Amino acid sequence: MLESIVSYGLAVGAVYALIGITYNVMFTASRVFSFTAGMLGMLGGVLGALFITKLGLPTVVAFVLVLACGAAIGVVTEIVAVRPVLKSLEQHLYVLSTLAFALMVQQLTAIEWGTDAQPFPRLIPIGPGWLDQQFWLPLLACAVTIVGLELLYRHTLIGRAFLAIAEDSYAARALGLPEQRLRMASYALAGVIGALAGFTGAEMLLAFFGNQAILNFYGFVPVALGGMGSNRGALIGGLALGLFQQAANFLVGGIFAAVAVFVVFIVVLLLRPEGLAGAATARRV
Amino acid sequence: MDASAPPISVRAAAPSRLARIEAVLPWAALAVAGVGLPLLDDSYFGVIAQRACIYWILVAGLNLVVGFAGQIAIGWVALLTLGAYTTAVLTAGTVTTEWNPFLALAVSGVVGAVFGVVVGLPALRLRTFYFAMTTLGFATIVTQVALAWKSVTGGGIGTAGPVFPWPFDPGWGFYYLCLILAALATWMTANIARSRFGRALVAIRDAEVAAEASGIAKPALLMAVFVFSGALAGVAGGLFSSLQSYITPDAFTFDLSVLFFIAILIGGRGSIMGPLLGTIILTVLPEFAAPLVAWSTFLYAALLLLIVLIIPGGIADLLDYKNRRPLERHREIVPRPELLARVLDRRSGGNVLSLSHIELSFGGVRAIDGLDLEIRPGEVHGLIGPNGSGKTTTLNVISGYYAPQAGEVRMGAAILPPRAPHLRAGYRIARTFQTPRLIGGASVLDNVMIGGTIDGQGSFAESLLTLPRHQRDEKQLRDAALQALAAVGLEQLAAVRADRLQHSELRFMEIARALMLRPTCLMLDEPAAGLSADEIRRLGALIVAISREGTAVLLVEHHADLIFDICDRVTVLNLGKVLAAGTPAEIRSHREVVSAYLGA
Amino acid sequence: MPISAPEPLLEVSGLSSGYGKIGVLRGIDLRVGAGEAVALLGPNGAGKTTLLRAVSGLLPRSGTIRFAGKDMAGASPRDTVQAGLVHVVEGHRVFTQLSVFDNLLLAGYGMKRDERATQVEEALAFFPEIAAKRQDRAGTLSGGQQQMLAVAQGLVRRPRLLMLDEPSAGLSPVLVDRVLAAVARLREDGTAVLLVEQLIEKALAVADRVYALARGSIVLEARTDEPDLPNRLEHAYFGQDVNAPLAS
Repeated sequence: MLESIVSYGLAVGAVYALIGITYNVMFTASRVFSFTAGMLGMLGGVLGALFITKLGLPTVVAFVLVLACGAAIGVVTEIVAVRPVLKSLEQHLYVLSTLAFALMVQQLTAIEWGTDAQPFPRLIPIGPGWLDQQFWLPLLACAVTIVGLELLYRHTLIGRAFLAIAEDSYAARALGLPEQRLRMASYALAGVIGALAGFTGAEMLLAFFGNQAILNFYGFVPVALGGMGSNRGALIGGLALGLFQQAANFLVGGIFAAVAVFVVFIVVLLLRPEGLAGAATARRV
Repeated sequence: MDASAPPISVRAAAPSRLARIEAVLPWAALAVAGVGLPLLDDSYFGVIAQRACIYWILVAGLNLVVGFAGQIAIGWVALLTLGAYTTAVLTAGTVTTEWNPFLALAVSGVVGAVFGVVVGLPALRLRTFYFAMTTLGFATIVTQVALAWKSVTGGGIGTAGPVFPWPFDPGWGFYYLCLILAALATWMTANIARSRFGRALVAIRDAEVAAEASGIAKPALLMAVFVFSGALAGVAGGLFSSLQSYITPDAFTFDLSVLFFIAILIGGRGSIMGPLLGTIILTVLPEFAAPLVAWSTFLYAALLLLIVLIIPGGIADLLDYKNRRPLERHREIVPRPELLARVLDRRSGGNVLSLSHIELSFGGVRAIDGLDLEIRPGEVHGLIGPNGSGKTTTLNVISGYYAPQAGEVRMGAAILPPRAPHLRAGYRIARTFQTPRLIGGASVLDNVMIGGTIDGQGSFAESLLTLPRHQRDEKQLRDAALQALAAVGLEQLAAVRADRLQHSELRFMEIARALMLRPTCLMLDEPAAGLSADEIRRLGALIVAISREGTAVLLVEHHADLIFDICDRVTVLNLGKVLAAGTPAEIRSHREVVSAYLGA
Repeated sequence: MPISAPEPLLEVSGLSSGYGKIGVLRGIDLRVGAGEAVALLGPNGAGKTTLLRAVSGLLPRSGTIRFAGKDMAGASPRDTVQAGLVHVVEGHRVFTQLSVFDNLLLAGYGMKRDERATQVEEALAFFPEIAAKRQDRAGTLSGGQQQMLAVAQGLVRRPRLLMLDEPSAGLSPVLVDRVLAAVARLREDGTAVLLVEQLIEKALAVADRVYALARGSIVLEARTDEPDLPNRLEHAYFGQDVNAPLAS
């Protein structure tokens, strides 16, 4: 029992952490909290099932294709829902434009793919048991993403450009950095990470349009608790959330586990609105 | 009161008879359509109309939260669920004795009010997106609890809704119940919208800093709104359970939440008629386009995206013909300082605003280093200095946005509490801002009336029901605002949307708003920026006149000519310290001042 | 270098700009010749920073801007930088989370790798003090060092015209001299400089020509070797006619 709580908890926690990182990547690039992180995760699963099961593509091909779709949808999000509202000074508008876009995609999926959760094919024949690949694939994906992002930010110029824009977009613009192109690239990257989360987690979560709402919320909790923009916080928060959820599931049953998560979330946020690890953004006097 | 001052013509802002008919017409049309619907004797229309009324009861309340207060409460369907189950369970007789449906409905309202506060509380601490997420989470939780708590709610099987007794029995009787409650909800929310509370809500949404400076306390006001809106949603839920006759958890989908939310945005924020039309449209639409039903949420979302990108103002903006009439091109601002006596209504002597030994650091940087300052009533006191000298920081300390590490700010003998900007209005300290803070979508008159919010006596409940004290407040505020606008020279623009004004007019409008407090101390933050030479002259005359009425005026400025022209005393700051203080003539010839400005 | 060259490097005519509804600049005419050092002076709130932002494309503007013979209408800051006009913004805003070296690399974003590497080294050579700290995070540098880094960033693209917004702000006199010495060297090397400054005497010492901006318009244009300049500037600042004698 304990192994299954730990393995399932860590695995689903890794998916939540990746969605949290998706939020972070979009936020640091544009200062916009986008509602599309859950959507990308959902599509990772649904498109994966579509390509492998319905279209019969080999797993690796389908995987690459899903990531490519994620990138493309990320770019579309930036063009349609983010860029137009950045010019406006109204704070609430960007929340609504990404929400609207995400809803449209969700409904489209519900109509075209169906509202039932479809099974997701087994990706690698390792398991079953607590070492089943459905558990460690998301963790592997999470590790690769974290390492990959570190390499990107530390060792590539474009990664450093991302950091620059995140810190001071005015100075970055004045320096001649191509702000728009970099923002699009960030959203494409976020799309890849979100799709990766959904693809690797779909064996557990199934290919289900309703995953969007679930991932939107549970992927946000690590960000809220860990501090927005902090990938480390998202990782820790995500894994902790996954374990807590599974433990609560086992102890008090599914419904009250959800209530427990929500209550903890609210209480923490009310006590520390900037998150447990987050710091209030530095002032420029 | 100066008897020789010319009387203010309020005709400029009072609506004409035609305009009043124009305003009432849509409501009258809706009322006629609503009351007369049973004549069509089509039960299909009846059900749709009942649904529309019930949805509107909820949306009317949510409109205050989303449209007026600007809180992104997406998960409001949770309150509908709670209200529905409360009424259904109480009247079903399975858990308790069978309750009277009307009593159960009332309890639903109370439950809605309580949980309205629960859902709304995070809004005081959390940012927009975070708050939106918490409401979503809450909605999910409520549905899941409804599913799980089988013993009470019947779980997935559901429970029966109540049947109301005659004259509100199922069919047209129930329809009239819904219609009456919908009309009541409309009336009450419209009352709030046209009260100082409604204006204060919009101020919090669009110009929070100015709202604080006018003394508006966000927490109390938001809580009142959440209680009221929650109650409406609870009642709507109770009626909903009767409409459905049998409720299950999957009647309360996220789609429904989205529908409510979008109805408000399609309708336009800050309007009542707009969201009402939006609700009717969104309820009726899927019924007439059967193949569209499956796509309805997709279309709502697409509509929301279009609205956000193209017409953020919604239907209300589209219907706002008044504000599309062209304005006169070459408008001049002609203040009438002789009216200030009545505006400022000075009854007692003023107080001295004094700063003693103020020290303020940010991180390692000393922004203010031992500042002493005295602003006396009847004087214009200029505060100048190079960039980074601490001028605006000083203003912000007086306003209460920053707490100094040492020293105190006093008004007369009273020490002003640090970090409590909304309390300054109570001390009759008013200010304007470097960049004008305004509510773009509201009229100039409404913007100015914000300044007098704290002088209202009536409570939120009294405004809900337009009781006499509320009406008295409104009349007084309106008259005072017109006076203030006349004094600064903007009374012809009273009914115009504020975002249509030129920059210089906005600066004068801010002064009118500040005058509403009848301030003992008025602080002006670079009011001359962006004004023409002519306008600066008139501004100067106005400021001098204000001070001669006994107000202590603190003027932070870059425009050397304005400072030297009108100030009685000038203090020069440099690097957070006082470099020199004295009369303008002394300052002008002070070698060190000249060097500091010109750089040594 | 003579300033009577046929077409100046930077030619601004009828420039108006501001922030939203707030118009700040009204019909500015200004020119900078190749290799010239021009100082832009004026009291606070006159619009000096706004002017630089309008020229570099950070703010929308109306009027004409011609740089190196090209019309810069609608040019973004990136276009402007690539044309050879670099704007070092006010407040020594460097990327504190990145190293000194990375800050300079970013200044050359889009250049060929080898060229960028060479130029970064050349820029560092201008400021040996920060060259020694190349791997340190920019957040650990003092204010003066950050300012030098910001100017170094401006040099990475080897601009034909470098615009500096108050590089002396908040610096000790020693550092101010250091920075302005770098400006003098730039001028000797043939880079044109447009320098916004509060410290009049120091600015006049490095510049060939000077403009004074007040209340959104140019109120004075002169060569720095003209007589009685400090007095005329004082009048321009405080709003009196520059040609009238000082009223006592």
